[in-house]
Amino acid sequence: MGKETVATVAEANAKSLPECINSSNPFHECSDYCVRKIAEARQRLDDEVPDSWKRPPEERTLHPDCINASNPYHDCSEYCFKRIADAKAGSERAQKEDAGKSDATEQQSEDNEAGKQEDAGGADDGYPQMTEKQRKLFELQLKMNEARKANQQAMVAEKKRMEPRGESRGVSKQKWLEDRKKKIGKLLDSNGLDMSKAYMLDTQETAEVKYKKWEKEPAPHGWDVFNQKTLYDAYKKRTKNIEVDMEAYNKAKESDPEFYRDASSLQYGKVSKVPEENIDKMVKELKDREAKRQSFSRRRKFNEDKDIDSINDRNEHFNKKIERAFGKYTLEIKNNLERGTALPD
Amino acid sequence: MAVATPRRVGGVVEAASDPSLSALTEARLPRVTRVKNKSPAEVQITAEQIIREARERREPEHPRGPARKIAGADELAEYRLGERKKFEDAVRRAASCGSPSAWVRYAEWEERQGDLHRARSVYERALSSSAAAQRGHTLWVRYAEFEMRSRCVSHARNVWNRAVALLPRVDQLWLKYVHMEETLGAVANARQVFDRWMAWRPGAAGWSTYAKFELRYGEVDHARAVYERFVTEHPHPEAFIRYAKFEAKRGEVERARGGRSRGRR
Repeated sequence: MGKETVATVAEANAKSLPECINSSNPFHECSDYCVRKIAEARQRLDDEVPDSWKRPPEERTLHPDCINASNPYHDCSEYCFKRIADAKAGSERAQKEDAGKSDATEQQSEDNEAGKQEDAGGADDGYPQMTEKQRKLFELQLKMNEARKANQQAMVAEKKRMEPRGESRGVSKQKWLEDRKKKIGKLLDSNGLDMSKAYMLDTQETAEVKYKKWEKEPAPHGWDVFNQKTLYDAYKKRTKNIEVDMEAYNKAKESDPEFYRDASSLQYGKVSKVPEENIDKMVKELKDREAKRQSFSRRRKFNEDKDIDSINDRNEHFNKKIERAFGKYTLEIKNNLERGTALPD
Repeated sequence: MAVATPRRVGGVVEAASDPSLSALTEARLPRVTRVKNKSPAEVQITAEQIIREARERREPEHPRGPARKIAGADELAEYRLGERKKFEDAVRRAASCGSPSAWVRYAEWEERQGDLHRARSVYERALSSSAAAQRGHTLWVRYAEFEMRSRCVSHARNVWNRAVALLPRVDQLWLKYVHMEETLGAVANARQVFDRWMAWRPGAAGWSTYAKFELRYGEVDHARAVYERFVTEHPHPEAFIRYAKFEAKRGEVERARGGRSRGRR
């Protein structure tokens, strides 16, 4: 917009075309060279921009058989056509097999499919003006855009993760709801859905992930972390590390008369010679376990921007503990105190 | 002095005579000065500001004493004596509550000093004295692991034996015992321990541990016998299902079907 206002000012002074790249310069005067450059740029743009983008959305390219037909913003590309052709070929092949035709007909149908694919591929149904090269370029651009979007999303997510969390005390669920609405609002409206029916937008995979989450038992926390089940699971993990020495086992089997002894056997009291390396193995395993125990609890990120409410390190630790215990109950009271007045509820 | 009213001597209040004020005031407030302006000051201090200032003024936590250099056997003995006194005090204080952590810290210090006999005696005292031995299994586990770390296998076996005899319902003791025997390669011993455990009818977890142990050494018949015992002593549908799954994994579909039909009955 700035360019245009400046351009109008400049035009009052000299001949400066609005499409010229130097139009932001108020003292620029367009010459033949500028005119030539403008024409070249226009030509280049025309070559690149696919025709589908110039057309109004009502006349978009849409194959009725495409699975994305319900999406009002979808434009069918070569990929879509290929997919449609494959689907048609698959269903046709299934039909032919059901009918129990002979090999000749199958070959015929395959030829048909190949022909269809070529047709679908070569059909410039929606793109009468685009050549092969232009369509390929278009698809490359689509891929690049998607990659760029994915990269940006990943960047934003990582930044959020790295920074310490902000004040979550006063923030209510409203903010999360608004965020969510922003993200899926467009899709909701296009399908005529309400926020309460937002689950209708889930694909089957995401729905299955959600079901799995419901069925999963909540992980034990607090004093329950070392209950019988978790200890047993830890033992099972350790058994995976046991090296089974079959030949020593067989040798012992032959030498020992009471190899399969039961509880009442008196062999137990007898001192048996244990080779040194086994003892080494045992000690090593113990040391490994102890080293692993160090990483049991991870150190949390220190949030510098948080309000200071303690005079001491001990005090800080205590505050963390009581926040854990009573935080969710005192949230209302704390918010009222911060605000200065209580809300009438 | 127990007097609470301030003395009126020339209008000056002795701060020391008023015990409630002595901690707060350093300056002596002349009594003649009356506060004329009772309106609030323009700049008020907030609680947050007070907290921040207090935090900035705090002293370093746990100021450590100077590092101690030990040069010679007598100094070492002195140092050990001092430490032992501290530990004994801690242990006496902790004897009232049921946590064995004071004992364990003491014993581990002795272990680090290399004195196995003393460490052993500390553990034994802990076991005999406090309720920690009877109530929880942690003390037993620590003791046994100490023996294992010090490579005293027969001592370790002794400790595990006692632990398992006193607390047979704690699965962790059995599991660790069996794991030790297996790591040492004493498979026959392990089998015997498993047998003792099964006499207590532990539950599906215990039984399947036994069966998996047998399978690890390729003893399929024994594993089958284990499952048979499991199923007879635990006539729950879950037991039958596990047995059938085991047979199915082995490819013995007939037996699996037989197992399931028994279960249905």
